[in-house]
Amino acid sequence: MPLRNRWKSFIDRETPAAWLLAAPALLGLLAFVALPFLLALALSFTDLRMGSPLPVEWAGLEQYARILSDPGFLHALRNNAVFAAVVVPLQTALALGLALLLDRPLRGMVVFRTLFFLPVVFPMSLVAVVWILIYAPGTDGLMNAALATLTLGAWEPVDFLHDPRWALPAIMLLSIWQGVGFQMVILLAALQGVPQTLHEAARLDGAGPVRRFWHVTLPQLRNPLIFVALVTAILAFRLFDQVQIMTQGGPLDATTTVM
Amino acid sequence: MDGRPSCKAIRHLLPIALLLLAGCGGEDGEGGAVRLEAWHHAGREAERRTIREQVARFNAQHEGEIRIELTLIPEGSYNAQVQAAALAGELPDLLELDGPYLYQYVWQGSLRPVGPFLPEDTRADILPSIREQGTFRGRLYSVGAFDSALGLYARRDRLKEIGARIPEGPGEAWSVKEFEQVLGLLAEADPDGAVLDLHLNYEGEWFPYAFAPVLWSAGGGLIARPDHDRARGVLDSPESVAAMERLQGWIEAGYVDPNLDDAAFTEGRVALSWGGHWNYPRYRAAVGEDLVVLPLPDFGRGTRTAQGSWNWGIARACPDPEAAGEFLAFLLEDEEVLAMTRANGAVPGTRPALERSPLYGPDGPLRLLAEQLQGGQAVPRPRTPAYPVISTIFQDAFADIRHGMDVREVLERAAAEIDADLEANEGYRFPEEPRRR
Repeated sequence: MPLRNRWKSFIDRETPAAWLLAAPALLGLLAFVALPFLLALALSFTDLRMGSPLPVEWAGLEQYARILSDPGFLHALRNNAVFAAVVVPLQTALALGLALLLDRPLRGMVVFRTLFFLPVVFPMSLVAVVWILIYAPGTDGLMNAALATLTLGAWEPVDFLHDPRWALPAIMLLSIWQGVGFQMVILLAALQGVPQTLHEAARLDGAGPVRRFWHVTLPQLRNPLIFVALVTAILAFRLFDQVQIMTQGGPLDATTTVM
Repeated sequence: MDGRPSCKAIRHLLPIALLLLAGCGGEDGEGGAVRLEAWHHAGREAERRTIREQVARFNAQHEGEIRIELTLIPEGSYNAQVQAAALAGELPDLLELDGPYLYQYVWQGSLRPVGPFLPEDTRADILPSIREQGTFRGRLYSVGAFDSALGLYARRDRLKEIGARIPEGPGEAWSVKEFEQVLGLLAEADPDGAVLDLHLNYEGEWFPYAFAPVLWSAGGGLIARPDHDRARGVLDSPESVAAMERLQGWIEAGYVDPNLDDAAFTEGRVALSWGGHWNYPRYRAAVGEDLVVLPLPDFGRGTRTAQGSWNWGIARACPDPEAAGEFLAFLLEDEEVLAMTRANGAVPGTRPALERSPLYGPDGPLRLLAEQLQGGQAVPRPRTPAYPVISTIFQDAFADIRHGMDVREVLERAAAEIDADLEANEGYRFPEEPRRR
């Protein structure tokens, strides 16, 4: 019997058993993931309203037309897009900067790494509540007071979370602060994987630190950077917790998001 | 095929899922007695104890005939539990409900009118405010053993210092101009200028409850009455906008204490507090004889105030509504009403009990609140199945207004949102009514 046929019959003999073993998991997947998804899709073409005694009727694309013409929804899309456009590059760059700073063989570096990673450990809900206090309006608010000190008193106190101009930037800042540690750790790991031989070779060729960063470090970090940017983008479009806790989408829809 | 089969499948699956969540009840009579399930909100300790004692008394009186089985449901998720039970067809026979949710329950076909199952005199004794809130489409669907009330608490000595007139009854309410003069004079004598507490520290339902009266008093409102078919031209009418701009003006002028610690009035930081009957015990303890209750300011059409609290309804599926009616009549007996209101401090829900109440009776310190409930100044929140949506949208709008957004813009947007919801629900028509398109 040729090898290939023997392999094929082996597969044939094993297939029923494989299906049997996979069945419970597959059934669960079908019932709790595929079915609800398909039903939700079907329902989106009806006018189903929870708790309404009126009969459910086929509505075609009406619901889609309604949401796409709803200024609130468009506002939310725009907020999400702005959030992602600002936070993804900024947070990635910051994470890279931190990783570079912390990738040095100095004494006590573990303490710094822990400090920068600390915000990631706290749940977003907790962080959001603390930052509400930081953003408190008036001269007593921590952020206002800090900015006033930094600008030697030129700063006019702002009600960050209730001013349509400041609410979204305020949430961006908090999100970056909370999320940057996670990416820093990933990039730090990647940095430590960059072979020292490449750096040494570049140094022998006369490359300074800046050129070594652009031509050795960065190309070596290509895949981790793509991963980090992708994850940040996904999280940016899932933005919800901090908005729900801090502004509930207000003021005047300045922070509504799609979720 | 137009997709109907799949909808049907959903409508069969949903109740099953919810039934699993809600848990299932059983039917087993005890010695031939009618067994009725009743749901009550958990409330505070004293309230829980009272309703348990009341049920025990009633069951003892009707030994072998009627047996009430009480379930206490946490207040926070009460409406969600009722909605789940309604979808699953597992509603109790007797159901306590928060006043403004009544119309949605009736619209969903969960309740039946209670009027026919109550004795004539019991019905006649109920406070007009409770009767009005319980009446929907011409029929009485719910009754309550107590009502809530809203007023303006003041420290008499501070008002005397500035020589302000002290209104004695709802008819003598300060005009809004007079109120603003009072605020100005009080602020001059106050170290930080914040002299008014609007309970901005409260959440949720407080805002429509406490500030819809401002709109009504100005000649505006939340939604067109009596048809409840549009908010545009009412919530964003010039009257509504002007009234909310005045209120926003008080905040911007620094007259309003944010009251983050809920102690602005008790600690003496402010002289005036916009509050409910439930504030009285603490205020009285802190201020003593100096405490006085005033009507809310008159924005042009006479003072208006809020009302509405927990009510009882009878489920459509209740097998023995006569027995259920007997229980409700029992809860509305003078002694029972007084027992419950002693426990929760609310306004007794029947006139004879009200007259005997030490707080709200003829010489009681809160007499003014009781007068407002009987004199037509108290207005129920909009009697429409759309109320939960209206309430949420108004809460958001109020949050924007208090933080200084443009009032007209905020109210126009809120009105448009309410109208969009009305349209999406076909004006909350009843299934048997023709479609309005």
